[in-house]
Amino acid sequence: MVSFLLRRLVALLPVLALVLVIVFSLVRIIPGDPAVTLLGPGATNEQIAALRLQLGLDRPAAFQFFDYVGGLLQGNLGTSLKTGNGVLQEILIRLPATLELSICATLLAILIGIPIGVLSATWPNSGLDHVTRVVSLLGVSMPAFLLALILQLIFATYLGWLPVSGRISPYVATPTVTGFATLDGVINGDFGAMWSAVQHLVLPTVVLAAFLATTLGRFVRNTMLDVMTEDYIRTARAKGLSRSSVILHHGLRNSLLPAITITGLKFAEMLGGAILTETIFAWPGVGRFMFEAIKNRDYPVIQGTTLIFALLFMATSLLVDLLYGVLDPRVRRKMQ
Amino acid sequence: MTMLLIFLRKNTLAMVGGLTLLAVLLAILFAPMMITYSPTRINVLHKLAAPSWEHWLGTDAFGRDVLTRVLYGGRYTLAIGIGVVAIAFTVGVFFGTLAGFAGGVVDMLIMRVVDAMLSFPALVLAIALAAAFGPSLNNAMLAVAITLAPQFARVARSQALAVSVKPYVEAAVSLGLPTRRILWRYIFANGLGPLLVQASLSLGSAILQTASLGFLGLGAQPPLAEWGADVSANLQYMRGSPWVALSPGMAILLTVLCFNLIGDSLADWFNPRRRSELD
Repeated sequence: MVSFLLRRLVALLPVLALVLVIVFSLVRIIPGDPAVTLLGPGATNEQIAALRLQLGLDRPAAFQFFDYVGGLLQGNLGTSLKTGNGVLQEILIRLPATLELSICATLLAILIGIPIGVLSATWPNSGLDHVTRVVSLLGVSMPAFLLALILQLIFATYLGWLPVSGRISPYVATPTVTGFATLDGVINGDFGAMWSAVQHLVLPTVVLAAFLATTLGRFVRNTMLDVMTEDYIRTARAKGLSRSSVILHHGLRNSLLPAITITGLKFAEMLGGAILTETIFAWPGVGRFMFEAIKNRDYPVIQGTTLIFALLFMATSLLVDLLYGVLDPRVRRKMQ
Repeated sequence: MTMLLIFLRKNTLAMVGGLTLLAVLLAILFAPMMITYSPTRINVLHKLAAPSWEHWLGTDAFGRDVLTRVLYGGRYTLAIGIGVVAIAFTVGVFFGTLAGFAGGVVDMLIMRVVDAMLSFPALVLAIALAAAFGPSLNNAMLAVAITLAPQFARVARSQALAVSVKPYVEAAVSLGLPTRRILWRYIFANGLGPLLVQASLSLGSAILQTASLGFLGLGAQPPLAEWGADVSANLQYMRGSPWVALSPGMAILLTVLCFNLIGDSLADWFNPRRRSELD
């Protein structure tokens, strides 16, 4: 397993190098002089020259790249032009909020998506299958911002059951321990804070989970239908096993492995979707931070958040590969 | 044509998607003949009017007819979808086919770049690129096309790998045909099916992603009637006049759903296992 991990890490290196080149190039592809664009029309020549020096734009591109990578190795993702603080520090403050939202959305999507997929595959081409197919396609076709607006309108504005936006009520103050608002409420024994955090979490979680749940449902359905044509399923049936046993122990178990891959990849993609969701729900995470950086043309922050999202994406893919080995003895043998 | 009719007859959902899309297309194309309002003309006396016989979907904060803006906005949205997929298809298929056919170092170099681009969540890369290029509809389209191209490259490469070992390709190589002709006439032409499925599935994503960029202010700029930008511009009126923001949003949903219904059915059609269920 360790040698497999090392091999995968080595294989990731060239891809990581190219990812760094792409992220590094983001500031360099700004049309015209990036320093002039970043500072806006009112900037003086001195300010432009100072920013060019700060960003290293007066040096050859190759040197700039190695400086950038050198900085990254020391944990330096640059300095925010808006706040003057380190980009990494700013991201780390907001990362728990994004992770809390993404993890809750993934769990909700698994809870909804897998049973839907199993039911559809159990009765293919039935009324239920057609309904879940249309709902799945509806979920994939729904712009996240539209679903967010509809849910806000119904559950927050008209019914008043849930808060419109934010992460926790402004009247609640609970010390930060983990950065996960719900967990902090439990740890501090402040159940009022926890309840407020849960209420704020519901709508953004549903919006973020909708895409994954529908994709996962459809994926499990298709994989399971393929698995159900395998020889070992025929053998299981021939042995006289019950229908539910064949479906749950043979069909579902073998369909779950590809489902893990898709969940892992979609989890990382969901981090990207968080930009829209967090912006609409004023959720103080990395996605909203990136949106604000775009509004303020704070390019070091855009670069930093893009890199963090890419690294999370790559780390998730690696984790999924490893998890495959843990869960499937055939894959584990190959790894060894 | 016969194949298309057989496909539609066996796929009810694709038929529903196709017919709805046709209706949407006709409405968008003939909008100037059906509607007398201008999508950009301001009429503050009628601002935020509720849906009525005069204004079927009401009016926005500038008194502009929402239905007119949705229909005119559809022209941009469909052009965006087709334009983005055309760029992504051309670039992705060129490099993917080249990688699969050439193999060796060329394949390795191209596919590492593809891997690197696929290491970003698609929307994040599109947002970052659009932010760097500067907010405009053309730049947003380019940014989305760049994020979609690697998916085409992957499919094109696997098709090229599968087709290039066929006897007719070996015969073409041994006859000494020029590489360009082999790539175009044999490899590309014979691997087209899955690429068309990918293209039909990508149309929906292209529209969604460009609308999302528009929503974030990185796409079309006012007063251009574009669905994503129109939702974003009218967010503040959601409480009192929800039709203003919801109408363009629902138009995005309907159009993308139609494309996905067709794409999903095409994917089933080209999958031998799934196809046996349909037959």
